[in-house]
Amino acid sequence: MTATAEPLAVAKIPREGKEESQFQIVLRRFMRHKLAVAGVVVIVVMFIGALLAPYIAPFPRDAVDIAVATRPGPPGTMSSAGEMHPLGVDHLGRDLFTRLLYGARVSLSIAFIVVVVSELFGVVLGAAAGFMGGWFDTFISRLVEFLLSIPTLPILLITASILIKTDAQLPLPAFVTGFVSWMLAAPPQEANKVIVLMAILILLGWTGAARLMRGMALTLRNQDFVEALRAVGASNTRIMFRHIIPNGIAPILVNASLGLAGIVIAEATLSFLGVGVQEPTPSWGNMLSTAQSYMFQHPWLPLVPGIPLCLVTIAFNFIGDGMRDALDPRLKR
Amino acid sequence: MTAYLIRRLFQMVIVVFVVSLFMFFLFNIAPGGPLTGLQQQQRRITPEEKARIRAQYELDLYWPVRYTRWLVGQPQGPLVIGGQEWFANVPMGCYLEATPEEGGGCADYVYLSEMPELHPPIKSSRGILFGDFGNSTVVQAGRPVWDLLASRLMATVELQVISLVLALVIAIPLGIYSAVNQYSKFDYTFTTAAFVGSSMPTFFFGLLFILLFTVLAGRAQEVWPWWPTLPPGLREAVRPYDVASWLRVQPGTPLDRFLHLLMPVAVLTIFSVAAWSRFLRSSMLEVLRQDYVRTARAKGLVERLVINKHALRNALIPFITILVLQIPIFFAGAIVTETVFAWPGMGRLYFDALNRSDYNIALAFIYVTTILTVVATLLGDILYSVVDPRIRY
Repeated sequence: MTATAEPLAVAKIPREGKEESQFQIVLRRFMRHKLAVAGVVVIVVMFIGALLAPYIAPFPRDAVDIAVATRPGPPGTMSSAGEMHPLGVDHLGRDLFTRLLYGARVSLSIAFIVVVVSELFGVVLGAAAGFMGGWFDTFISRLVEFLLSIPTLPILLITASILIKTDAQLPLPAFVTGFVSWMLAAPPQEANKVIVLMAILILLGWTGAARLMRGMALTLRNQDFVEALRAVGASNTRIMFRHIIPNGIAPILVNASLGLAGIVIAEATLSFLGVGVQEPTPSWGNMLSTAQSYMFQHPWLPLVPGIPLCLVTIAFNFIGDGMRDALDPRLKR
Repeated sequence: MTAYLIRRLFQMVIVVFVVSLFMFFLFNIAPGGPLTGLQQQQRRITPEEKARIRAQYELDLYWPVRYTRWLVGQPQGPLVIGGQEWFANVPMGCYLEATPEEGGGCADYVYLSEMPELHPPIKSSRGILFGDFGNSTVVQAGRPVWDLLASRLMATVELQVISLVLALVIAIPLGIYSAVNQYSKFDYTFTTAAFVGSSMPTFFFGLLFILLFTVLAGRAQEVWPWWPTLPPGLREAVRPYDVASWLRVQPGTPLDRFLHLLMPVAVLTIFSVAAWSRFLRSSMLEVLRQDYVRTARAKGLVERLVINKHALRNALIPFITILVLQIPIFFAGAIVTETVFAWPGMGRLYFDALNRSDYNIALAFIYVTTILTVVATLLGDILYSVVDPRIRY
């Protein structure tokens, strides 16, 4: 009889001491951060709105409604054709809700592309610098120091303003332009201008990730498991991409999510000052810029793009904060 | 330490050099400048006239040549050694561009030997390294850039100093109190508020202030005439205005100045307070965990003294770096806030200069700001090692 009972007991043991996977631990710790979870909800809603912009927007993006009596018109303005503008119309008579959705698409796409590309750059360069050392490390470290020691905003402004005035275009393969154009839900000519803006933001934005990754690589490369990998004959590339980078990715994730907030703000600021995303491409920043001129007569106007902008930046920051807590190796549970 | 300083100084020179070279290159590819306006005014402008105007602004010279002339005021003519001219026939620029029909390229080069008469030393800058920033070309055409910068400096310094002092006075006690009472209700409210505050974009905060205290307050005033409003921009008013039915303000008076300062100072202060107090809080928490704080408590020191004398002084050390990095901002100003509130300071001058392609102003601004930024960074590192003897270079 006991013989039949034993396998049962054995089968029970792993269930009792069931190990949570690393991901589950992180997820559980993240869920404890209520504001971060709220941030995720906000971002998901905005993301869905931006993704579905062409389908749920009540009007075409640049359609001018000449039937509207007052321009800018307050929320709930009805055109003579009997169509309602839920958030009103702007000074040209374009539906603000539509432009808000497309603006979300543009602002969020810029943030995601810039952050993904610059973190990738930073991670690879930083890992290579820290892992290989030598002249390459010196070069990358000096370059990062250089970029960190220059006054960012004036230089960002000057570069953006000049490149936008010159109508500069980057020689990129058609599929890149096509992809960005799809991301922005804007025609390729407009996408070209936005690509230049993104390039500037990427050039100044990869340093944080590079510094973090270099530091991680410096500590990781002296650890025993790297020695062991060498002993079994793993190549440098393999060690770097399969072992160093995945091991040092946690702070990069935090950095990226805070970076999303930073890029949304940077893009909005540049567009607000008139050197970022250019009309007729809508972005929350340039919508605020036009709203500023009309706010004395129409006080609700800056709130239309302003509230989602603030929500998104705060949400990204809270998510970053929550991830920092969740990924902190010093906290066990 | 000496070796370290020399290395750092050397790096600083390189940074400033590279930044200014890069900016000069950017301006070289930029359209606009003094010529755009002219072309819009007079469409029928002969190539010779155009060349003459280009020469007036030194635009006929190649950009590396313009760069060295801007930097050190050289070259001004051929090198004369022992009565003989050297490099007289090196082209320095193109006075008259050839039309496409003529095959493109250059029809009339500017040679080094022609430099003294085409660009006489009296009319050109002595070089920014020798303190000559050249003249403004568009914003206030003909006025020396240095003079223009100096006239705007006071407005920026006024704004920055007031908000710096206010921010320090508010942020330090807030950060300490929050750290000492960690996990209290106050701490939770405060950290969340500071977090939200520091993650909002500045310009929207400025707009929100104008919306509340000018636009909506103005609406309220229509109903209740005693309700006060604030002026939305500029440093002083142009003509008398009513803050409320009971207060009429004359332009240029201290009260007028004060009212104009309120909103921009509030925006800058709130942002600094949000960022700095969060920083101080975490720095203070770090220090409160140290052994010497426990020792101080164990020997029976009053809690107030433990906090003020032992903990606070150490918690302020990392804060020095942040404070020192404010130095360039005293010169450069807050570009965004100054633009939102139409504050006539340096940041706005820079932004105007950029928009109107007045590149001498923009270059001078970038140049000084970069120098101040690298100097401030070095100063921060040095101060850090002075206050904290554990750090050695």
